[in-house]
Amino acid sequence: MVELERKDIQGIVVSAYKHLPCATYLLLRIKHAAATRAWIADRIPEITSSEGKHPALSTNLAFTHGGLQSLGLKQDALDGFSFPFQQGMDTDYRSRLLGDTQENDPNGWEWGSAANRVDLLLMVFGKDSTVVDAEVLRQQAALDRGGLTIVKAFPAGREKGTHEHFGFADGIGQPVMEGTGNKERQLQRTHHATELPVGEFLLGHANVYGVIAPGPAVKPEDDPHQLLAVIPADATGLNAEAGMHDLGRNGSYLVFRQLAQHVAEFWNFLDAASRGPNGTSNPMERERLGAKFVGRWTSGAPLVLSPGQDNPELRSENNFTYYEKDPHGLACPIGSHVRRANPRDSLGPDPQTALDSANRHRILRRGRSYGDRLKNVLVDDGADRGLHFICLNSDIERQFEFVQQTWLNNPVFSGLYDEVDPLVGDVAKGDRLFTVQAEPLRCRVQNLGRFVVVKGGAYFFLPSLRALNYLAKL
Amino acid sequence: MTQTILTFISKVKPDQADTLSKLLDQMGDNPETNSYIPFRSLKRLHFASLVLHQSSDYGPYLVFENNFDGTLDEYLPDLYQQAANGLHQIYGYCQDYSVASASDRQGLLNYLRAHVVYPNAYHIGNTGRSAERILQEGDLRTALELQADDLVKNGKAQSAQSAATALQQYVRTDSKWAWAVPTIGPREPFQQKFLAWSRLIFFGLLAIVLLPVLLVPAAVWLLVLRYKESTDPVLNDSADAGNVEQLLDKENRTRSVQNHMASITIVKPGWLRRSTLWLVLWAVNLLARARATHGELSGIPSIHFAHWSMIDDGRRLLFLSNFDGSWENYLDDFIDKAASGLTGVWSNTLNFPRTYFLLWGGARDGPRFKAIARDMQTVTNVWYSAYWDLTVQGIDNSSSIREDLLNVTGSATASALLQRL
Repeated sequence: MVELERKDIQGIVVSAYKHLPCATYLLLRIKHAAATRAWIADRIPEITSSEGKHPALSTNLAFTHGGLQSLGLKQDALDGFSFPFQQGMDTDYRSRLLGDTQENDPNGWEWGSAANRVDLLLMVFGKDSTVVDAEVLRQQAALDRGGLTIVKAFPAGREKGTHEHFGFADGIGQPVMEGTGNKERQLQRTHHATELPVGEFLLGHANVYGVIAPGPAVKPEDDPHQLLAVIPADATGLNAEAGMHDLGRNGSYLVFRQLAQHVAEFWNFLDAASRGPNGTSNPMERERLGAKFVGRWTSGAPLVLSPGQDNPELRSENNFTYYEKDPHGLACPIGSHVRRANPRDSLGPDPQTALDSANRHRILRRGRSYGDRLKNVLVDDGADRGLHFICLNSDIERQFEFVQQTWLNNPVFSGLYDEVDPLVGDVAKGDRLFTVQAEPLRCRVQNLGRFVVVKGGAYFFLPSLRALNYLAKL
Repeated sequence: MTQTILTFISKVKPDQADTLSKLLDQMGDNPETNSYIPFRSLKRLHFASLVLHQSSDYGPYLVFENNFDGTLDEYLPDLYQQAANGLHQIYGYCQDYSVASASDRQGLLNYLRAHVVYPNAYHIGNTGRSAERILQEGDLRTALELQADDLVKNGKAQSAQSAATALQQYVRTDSKWAWAVPTIGPREPFQQKFLAWSRLIFFGLLAIVLLPVLLVPAAVWLLVLRYKESTDPVLNDSADAGNVEQLLDKENRTRSVQNHMASITIVKPGWLRRSTLWLVLWAVNLLARARATHGELSGIPSIHFAHWSMIDDGRRLLFLSNFDGSWENYLDDFIDKAASGLTGVWSNTLNFPRTYFLLWGGARDGPRFKAIARDMQTVTNVWYSAYWDLTVQGIDNSSSIREDLLNVTGSATASALLQRL
């Protein structure tokens, strides 16, 4: 059993704070670095660590590369972070691989691009909106003195339940990190758990390859108060950073994307595509086609296990694979969202190799819906709603970006042609198609819209508590 | 149908490298129809690239990669006819080029022949299919998908057999598909397969027979190698940011994402490493000829053409690959499925992650392997694919569709065909 340094790890790493259904995210920009450093020092006692569970309120804090630079972190330390974090989410290269083209183009983003960059992310989670609102007011009052301005504030407004705005249960399949004790809970809840090494989510620990990936570190003379852990030499003599002070250890990369969901457009599209020959609306077929897009029924029941109709008894079921049960996608289409987002054992001739391979690209999802639920999913009310997608990983390229590019946005994923993920894919990369495999002949749903639009995003570093302390004293 | 994989390698005049680089950038902006080498007009060509590689020890090199149908003798006249002026201009920047004018056909062809480098080892994803056939079969598949859409829409896909018959009918009646007759050659001629397996078996038996004689030298070799690999320097830094940025700028530009990778590495000094590398590549090639003929190289299903060439008297290793998907995916596949093979090859080059007994360790250290792979990689100045949007697996599927289409006999074969759509 791995022993985590829980006091040093921010709480959002080990918990999705399901007991705190309300959240507000404050995206901040630094005006005066010295004031912000003092502000960070004041925040440290308020930051929730991974130790213990706080019944009413939790707070976490993350930084962009620009934010760390503004704080005064030295260049050699800044250069130790991974490339995607250094470059940011909005470069041309990353737009190509993330599918941020056309309506998703960073030039149109409300936050996170060069024109409206963000330095800090303050996340407040509470048991209800009263608690969150009060805490946010208190936090806001301290911002000015902390040399910070608000770029964007995403207020609470989350309803109970785990269904996202299209109406499907979300967040069922999640890997668990070793040492958290989450495995048992996950097994109980979903009958399946993939436990991954700590280094898949936290820097400075052995990852799925059994090695510690290089991370950001500072020279001993730049940490005179010994706030950070010293990187030990390892047995193989490979550790180039031995003797340096570890800025990355127990920290993680946090990916944040604001995904607006066009709920009425989505359901009207499904409605039109599922009408009978006489042109009348067919609610059952509509729901079935929606389930084919997602790979689970609205309750969460997986199509692999319940291909014919929804079965709420299986709403949290995650114990299934594709290779044996559904190799050709007749139950759960090859291109459906859940199959693309985690292909499990389906890619490649050998299921075990495929499963091991797929598990090198997992992320911890910590996202939440925002905005009010649409009353009638077929009638647009003009309001903004969607998902604040947040995930944690230690290697943005191998984990988040890989899932996004090689699985979700890949027009030739698993032998398909010209189609991308029907929910979140970049439709410009495909022919706006979605194939529903069937016997004797598949059906291709045509002219898909862009049901999800990216409105902002950035890569953040979620430091350890020790690293926070170091940043406060720069 | 055989395919040829080769490079023309020339030393560039150091003071002309910048000018040549600008010319190549111009070409790179329009690989299809640029005025130097309008690649689209070379019908035999599958993939091509031009790489201008700078090195402080060896000076600037120009590597011109060609993967084409038929033999060099069949390809060169085409190349000359379409690109004589461009080639003359490009090679004018190279050290030992003395052809006076582009109209000196023999001179130019002789120059190219003199600079041919055949790879020590190579892999072909879709064997036996000409570039033309790959494009045709792709078009056929697209047309059949549209036909199938109509069948579904009009409720005519009741049984597999009736749907398959309708598709057959469509192909038989439209003269556009007259080429799609079943007499097109197989993906791998029997003779080729027989030869490859015979060689593999012969050398396998030879190794067994010679085992008693080889045992002592092999043991000595292994001990020396083990000592060397435990003391060889290893790269520990992350990849060079400037180089990575230049590489990223060129990546993931095609719609379904094909990419090119060119890398030149320095072989570790001494004859032991050089001969080990030569032997490993020889063995890789022996195995690949016999076993990697169904679209996969050691379980990696995404490589169209890849080659390894030892250059500069074995002191450097050139690797070129044309592959599907992202760089990240490609490297992960290598690590997950072919770590031993690639460690066996590249651990003989400088700064590779720590290995054990040549094949173990090495690339399994994902982060360090990726860092060194980025550092070894050099920018591809010009790159051409005859089929930007097709994958190795997709091409195989299109071939199967054409092969199966006219052979449908019962409902089982009909279902198998329809499943490919």
